[in-house]
Amino acid sequence: MNEDKFVQVGIRPPAEMRTAVPVKRRKDFPVVAAGVLAVIVLGCLFCGAVMTKDPAYMDLVNYSRPPDREFLFGTDTMGRDIFSMIWYGGRVSLLIGFLSTAVSTVIAVVFGSLSGMAPAWLDAVLMRAAEIILSIPNLLLVILIQAALGDANIWSISLVTGVTGWTSIAKVVRTEVRQMRESEYVVASRCMGGGFFHILWKHLTPNFISSIMFMAVMNVRTAIVSESTLSFIGIGLPLEIISWGSMLSLSEKALLSNAWWIILAPGAFLVVTLLCITDIGSFLRKNRKQSNL
Amino acid sequence: MADDILLSVRHLTHCFRLSKRQVLRAVDGISFDVQRGEIFGLVGESGSGKSTVARCVMNILRPTQGEILFNGVNVCDAAQRRANKKMLQTQRQIIFQDSASSLNPRMTAAEIIAEPMQINHITTPRGSCRAEAEFQLHYVGMDASYLDKYPPELSGGMRQRVAIARALSMEPELLVADEPIASLDVSIQAQIINLFKHLQEEHGFTFLFIAHDLAVVRYLCDRAAVLYHGKIVELAPTAELFSNPCHPYTKALLSAIPIPDPRKERARPLVKFDGKGLRGEGRLEEVSAGHLVWKEAET
Ligand SMILES: Nc1ncnc2c1ncn2[C@@H]1O[C@H](COP(=O)(O)OP(=O)(O)O)[C@@H](O)[C@H]1O
Ligand SMILES: [Mg+2]
Repeated sequence: MNEDKFVQVGIRPPAEMRTAVPVKRRKDFPVVAAGVLAVIVLGCLFCGAVMTKDPAYMDLVNYSRPPDREFLFGTDTMGRDIFSMIWYGGRVSLLIGFLSTAVSTVIAVVFGSLSGMAPAWLDAVLMRAAEIILSIPNLLLVILIQAALGDANIWSISLVTGVTGWTSIAKVVRTEVRQMRESEYVVASRCMGGGFFHILWKHLTPNFISSIMFMAVMNVRTAIVSESTLSFIGIGLPLEIISWGSMLSLSEKALLSNAWWIILAPGAFLVVTLLCITDIGSFLRKNRKQSNL
Repeated sequence: MADDILLSVRHLTHCFRLSKRQVLRAVDGISFDVQRGEIFGLVGESGSGKSTVARCVMNILRPTQGEILFNGVNVCDAAQRRANKKMLQTQRQIIFQDSASSLNPRMTAAEIIAEPMQINHITTPRGSCRAEAEFQLHYVGMDASYLDKYPPELSGGMRQRVAIARALSMEPELLVADEPIASLDVSIQAQIINLFKHLQEEHGFTFLFIAHDLAVVRYLCDRAAVLYHGKIVELAPTAELFSNPCHPYTKALLSAIPIPDPRKERARPLVKFDGKGLRGEGRLEEVSAGHLVWKEAET
């Protein structure tokens, strides 16, 4: 028992009171992943400064050379310098990743919000449509659209992977919008005459952006993989447009001639980039869970 | 005389479809007029349909039957609504009960207050939107240091002031306030009520003031209607309503106001209302000038 009559029970002494736990943002932040990704992205963006050779120049004397002083990562079967191609081609791969993510995100946000704001029957129709698209294997859809579009280039590949990859983001957006649309600030905005896009931009997007951030980042990864896959199976970018995918598409021949560096260099860059993106993506997801508590 | 009427609600009925067979008549054929420059109170217990009336007036809900004339425009009619879109968007504003949910938590006070101006592309008389927001904020008794605060950082009373400032920024003719003080502490309630009274005296806004607190209605409103289960049972000037209540439900409501004297309070009979005489058809009848009481039709 407490003998002191003047200590009030039920009130914690100040020392015991826990101050708000500081958010451990910095600590969890994947520094290594962000650093490596930054190096890769910057290297690709300013590839002119990094490259040692002209990536498109076919040195017919030095074809399929293993790595050495002059050709840091060796040359491919057409005599192009792989080290230079990696930075140059990374630009295309990353561009496709970001472009197609932008396309998917815009489609997903508009479609998801439309579905979320629509009356119940239209919402049901739109969401079933999205599910049908989602249920078709992505690659099949990409191949179909690509075949319809004709010759592949950077824009068409971005568009195709973007157009096929929005459904899961749209579902998240739709669920969030459905919860928010009854909130009185959306009703109030509509009373003041706010149109669909005004409400979408001012009220809805800021509130769901954090929950689709993770998915958008993962979408960059998916798009880069799609580009590589397409190029690998031969319906992606043609060989003369250098990208990590089109570089990998040479691997068949490379394997036959025992030229391991032709696959390893672009493959390693691809895998490292994807790992970094994944790491940052899962950090975003965890961070979101924290902020929701 | 007709020019003095800003808002006219005629035989308004709103039904909520609860399931295939069940229909809830939340508002059942009510009519009233709100004159320009008056504060019209709508009182009733929780669930009597007050918010539904407000939402119909603001076009948030579509009434099942009846019409609502605002400034001579039938707001239930899509064509007329479209033709007068701008006028309706700026001249009618609503203040919700719960300021925590009626303000976007991710916008600053300045952005919130400027939102209607941006939507309607109003040229601001005071230069920038920010200056305008600051002016409106001053007007409701807050200073410029609150401009960059987010709603969760403000107290309930402050938030409600921001909501009022947002509504006022359009200088509307009609302000619909749906229980604007019900979520506030008593002392803050008094501040907000005085703010309303002050604004009305200074600016001559017309209020449709919804409350379940009779004392507030008595203090603030010029006329009041008592709503019970979606019907108006009594409508009269406030003084008349409180001094000479005619309908048993009104009597019951008034008897529930506590008297701040224990001896009188204990001796006072509590009138109960059993809901009799409100089941079927009937209509409002005038007992004296401007004092209408619900009379059940004789069967
Ligand atoms: N969206 C809705 N769907 C179904 N019923 C509703 C809805 N909104 C309100 N109601 C019902 O309508 C009646 C009146 O509600 P409301 O107008 O909010 O009352 P008040 O504001 O007077 O408390 C209540 O019985 C309520 O349950
Ligand atoms: Mg209500």
